[in-house]
Amino acid sequence: MSFTIVQILLLTAYSMYNIYDELQMNSSLSQPVWAGMIAGLIMGDMKTGLVIGAALQLTVLGVGTFGGASKIDANSGTVLATAFSIGTGMKAATAIAAIGVPVAALLTSFDILARFANTYFQHKVDKDIENFNYKGIERHAIMGVLPWCLSRGIPVFLALALGQGVVKTMVTYLNGDLQWLNTGLQTAGATLPAVGFAILLHYLPVKKHFAYLILGFTITALLSTLFTSVQTLGAGLSGASKAFTATFNALPMLAIALIGGALAILEYKKSITKINAATAGPAASSDDEDEDDEIEDANGEVDGDEEE
Amino acid sequence: MKKNKEYELTKQDFKQINKRSMFGFQMGWNYERMQGSGYLYTILPQLRKIYGDGTPELKEAMKTHNQFFNTSNFFNTIVTGIDLAVEGKEGVDSLDTVAGIKTGLMGPFAAIGDSLFAALVPTIMGAIAATMATQGNPTGLFLWLAVNIAIMVFRWKQLHFAYKTGTKLVSEMQGQLNALTDAATLLGVFIVGALIATMINIQVPLVAHMGQVPLVVQTNIDMILPKLVPACVVGLVYWLLGKKGMTSTKVIFIVIIFAVLLSTIGLLGKI
Repeated sequence: MSFTIVQILLLTAYSMYNIYDELQMNSSLSQPVWAGMIAGLIMGDMKTGLVIGAALQLTVLGVGTFGGASKIDANSGTVLATAFSIGTGMKAATAIAAIGVPVAALLTSFDILARFANTYFQHKVDKDIENFNYKGIERHAIMGVLPWCLSRGIPVFLALALGQGVVKTMVTYLNGDLQWLNTGLQTAGATLPAVGFAILLHYLPVKKHFAYLILGFTITALLSTLFTSVQTLGAGLSGASKAFTATFNALPMLAIALIGGALAILEYKKSITKINAATAGPAASSDDEDEDDEIEDANGEVDGDEEE
Repeated sequence: MKKNKEYELTKQDFKQINKRSMFGFQMGWNYERMQGSGYLYTILPQLRKIYGDGTPELKEAMKTHNQFFNTSNFFNTIVTGIDLAVEGKEGVDSLDTVAGIKTGLMGPFAAIGDSLFAALVPTIMGAIAATMATQGNPTGLFLWLAVNIAIMVFRWKQLHFAYKTGTKLVSEMQGQLNALTDAATLLGVFIVGALIATMINIQVPLVAHMGQVPLVVQTNIDMILPKLVPACVVGLVYWLLGKKGMTSTKVIFIVIIFAVLLSTIGLLGKI
């Protein structure tokens, strides 16, 4: 089996473009079917590429990235499966199972590494802000493109250059002896948003609105647990009986945001009434029935402020 | 405090923001602040026009916009448009409001954007394209490309619309900025609470054996309060950040090291 240098470079370049497109333009060129067709064209057999791409596309159907979670990298999996299938004459179905799916799963770790690496540039931006270094801010925000593209480019290049035997050994090793580091990093990736939230809380008037932090957290914690449980229950029931056809969705975040929005509107109205009462004073003659409330508010304001 | 003169976005500004959003917004994506640096990058030239180069106001604004932010990259310019409408009019006084608006809007837009563009469209178009491709027919692929280009056009247009809405909002709320700030930051804090409960997906996978009886630790924690572990971690990090000499870089490394250690000994795991 052999790939030409040109083929290796083209496939590497495409896999690097893949992640860029997925993050930015989202033109669909970064989807497995396209990956199959383009890799197929590079290898000189578009049809095999399309078949492999279609198979992996259907595998990840409905798997979207939610809230920045790493998803299985079916694109790079497709590129390698197509390349090895056409290059070595491996059957398409074998290439999908032996290379496509394991590579796609393995590359999730590289995705996580890229997201870690970019934290470095985030802190560079912090420094640039202190120095009013505008060019630096722009450069360091954009330089994240390097970890992103290399996270796909390096493994794809190595896999093509080293060949199939090495790929298999590496997959086994990383899923065996280095399993602890793999899971450890995934756990760290899942934990790190906590830092972002904590920093954000230092910026928001959290002491003043602490009650709402508790409300937002508790309502969501309870409801999301409930929704997840119902989904699990539904999946179990539909597995047990074909007659059970109802489907349950996950907790819609919009609903939670609307509850928060309602509370915000109430707070807004409350403070507007306060402001009006304070500026206009009791002398202001409002012709609606709110008058009594306003006066009460004006009287009650002193106490309220002391409490705060 | 000196009042900034009002700044209104020009056609050139819209183009610049859209370009930066389309081609660079998520490049800086990282675990700590996600799209934080990307958001700042997208609006940096406009911030410089609003506050003026080298002013303390500009520094404050840049810091505010370099904080945690994460939303759908299909809808981020809607938040940007509303943000710049408020900031252009009210200047540095509005930064608290803007921080609240950003935090309040990113959650719902992330949810709508992800379910529409990260799940629904790829599922439908992917199914069509894959079914055709199985027979070696690439037509479905080009159909998908066409749909996504149409979506890109909408992404390009929405900024202007959001900016107009934002401007209307600000002029109607004129003079009530304090009340608006209060409400917006309340919403922001509420949403952070919700995010803590949904976006930090960790648990205690430990199963202790008390004699013959297996004791699943996470189940017991859930009985006290679901998502207690994420809440504790955020509390801990919040406290750490408040300590003297502590930087966010140090905190990040502490979190990574502890997460890997705790995961290896089986005390902490990803859900």
